Amino acid sequence: MIVNIYTLIMLFVAIFSLSLGGFLFLLTIRTLISFKTTVPLEDKSKFERKGYLVFLLACVTLSIRMLAWPWFYFMLQSFVPEVPGAMCMFGVTQILPSTVTFLQIIKPVSFFIMGGWLLCYYIDKSTPTVPLARTNLYFLLIVCCVLMVDCAVDIYYVLRMKPLMSVSCCATFFDVPLRPSAMIPQAIFGRHFQKILFILYYLANITLIVLLFTSLSKKWTSLTPSTRKIILYCQAVMGIINIPIVIYAYIENIAPRLMQLPYHHCIYCFMGNGMVPDAPIMLGLFVIGTFAIGGMGILRLLCKNEESKLVTERLLAKVNTLSAFCLLASLIMVTIHLIFNN
Amino acid sequence: MTRKFWIGLIVIFAIALSGVSYQKFLKTPHCAYDGSAVTPIYGVDIVLKDGSTKKFCSIYCATQWYKKNVPLIDHVIVTDEIRGNKIDSYMAYFVTSELITNETNDNRIHVFQQRQDALTHAEKFHGTMADDPFTTDE
Repeated sequence: MIVNIYTLIMLFVAIFSLSLGGFLFLLTIRTLISFKTTVPLEDKSKFERKGYLVFLLACVTLSIRMLAWPWFYFMLQSFVPEVPGAMCMFGVTQILPSTVTFLQIIKPVSFFIMGGWLLCYYIDKSTPTVPLARTNLYFLLIVCCVLMVDCAVDIYYVLRMKPLMSVSCCATFFDVPLRPSAMIPQAIFGRHFQKILFILYYLANITLIVLLFTSLSKKWTSLTPSTRKIILYCQAVMGIINIPIVIYAYIENIAPRLMQLPYHHCIYCFMGNGMVPDAPIMLGLFVIGTFAIGGMGILRLLCKNEESKLVTERLLAKVNTLSAFCLLASLIMVTIHLIFNN
Repeated sequence: MTRKFWIGLIVIFAIALSGVSYQKFLKTPHCAYDGSAVTPIYGVDIVLKDGSTKKFCSIYCATQWYKKNVPLIDHVIVTDEIRGNKIDSYMAYFVTSELITNETNDNRIHVFQQRQDALTHAEKFHGTMADDPFTTDE
């Protein structure tokens, strides 16, 4: 184990949230088993207090856990001087590679569903009759499972991480002609894939932002339900399509240009080496913008209840604005860098 | 569109502009080939025909970049490992030895201003004298 402030905090948060998550899981199962839609008046106060405790505990645990995702990258960056041969986070990911890959996948997934649960809980809490309590408890069970797996792998990784082997530089992976980030777009778009990818990046983002603003406009209510449905589906589909486009565009075009290293395609160098100091903000805004679209999908799927309709509509508008803002801000930041760096 | 939205966009605009300013005016030099920080004692400067300079962290990175951009280059300045003096590459002595200057790219080429320093280094670290890597066969 590498001992520094980042690993100690990571370990503490993981152990703390694993124990809380385990406790929360059991408490949720017990609450679901004893769940009744009508409760006798004498038991009402006890039932409410118990339910309140479960949800409060869930809010605290999930809020802490959501911060573990950016913290994980801070921790990887802190390992760079410790690992022989590592120049950026990529070198660190060469030690226990399968564990790191798993963590890099599960962390955004858990961040997304935890955010989704918090949104659903907000709607339920804001409705006087708490009509979504049971749905939220079932959703919480899934969230707890993901959370516990995430925490357990975090603990395993922090304890097993030993900088005993020499690793290769990111250039040997990201800068070779047969790199996956070049081969896949090349197979689809041909030899001039970089230019096409760059145009697609702007096209997909602008389309998505326009679609998001459409559902925010005053004319939205005057549209027919079927048109509205089509636009909402388009938002979701564009949101999903936009993810690989942005990832490939960042690796192939944006990162090398912004780092002013035309032959270097390492996304980890872009994120963590400080060459583009606001790069984490650009990526963070894109992630929040995209996840907010997913969050809207979760809200529309789970919070269909008539009683909570008004609260859901209001929250959907807020999340929609957040998504449009984040995607637009990310695009503006990239554009400013591209204009002034050239 | 709310006021908060516009204020947020202005903040983002300011952050992006300060990021660009930092990159242009404040940041410490990074290797123009692999992006790592340039250690002054191993630094290589490639001066281009347009008068601008590219900085590199090691001879390895500089030669990799040099091979791809020969027509653009005017001359190459290397750093003497003993005294830190900047010298033209054709005046320097190069030694390939077992001592690695940069673990990341396994650079083993060392630069010296004095022939004696180069020979001493070669003897100490089982090295051999090498040709100037910044010459082109014409």
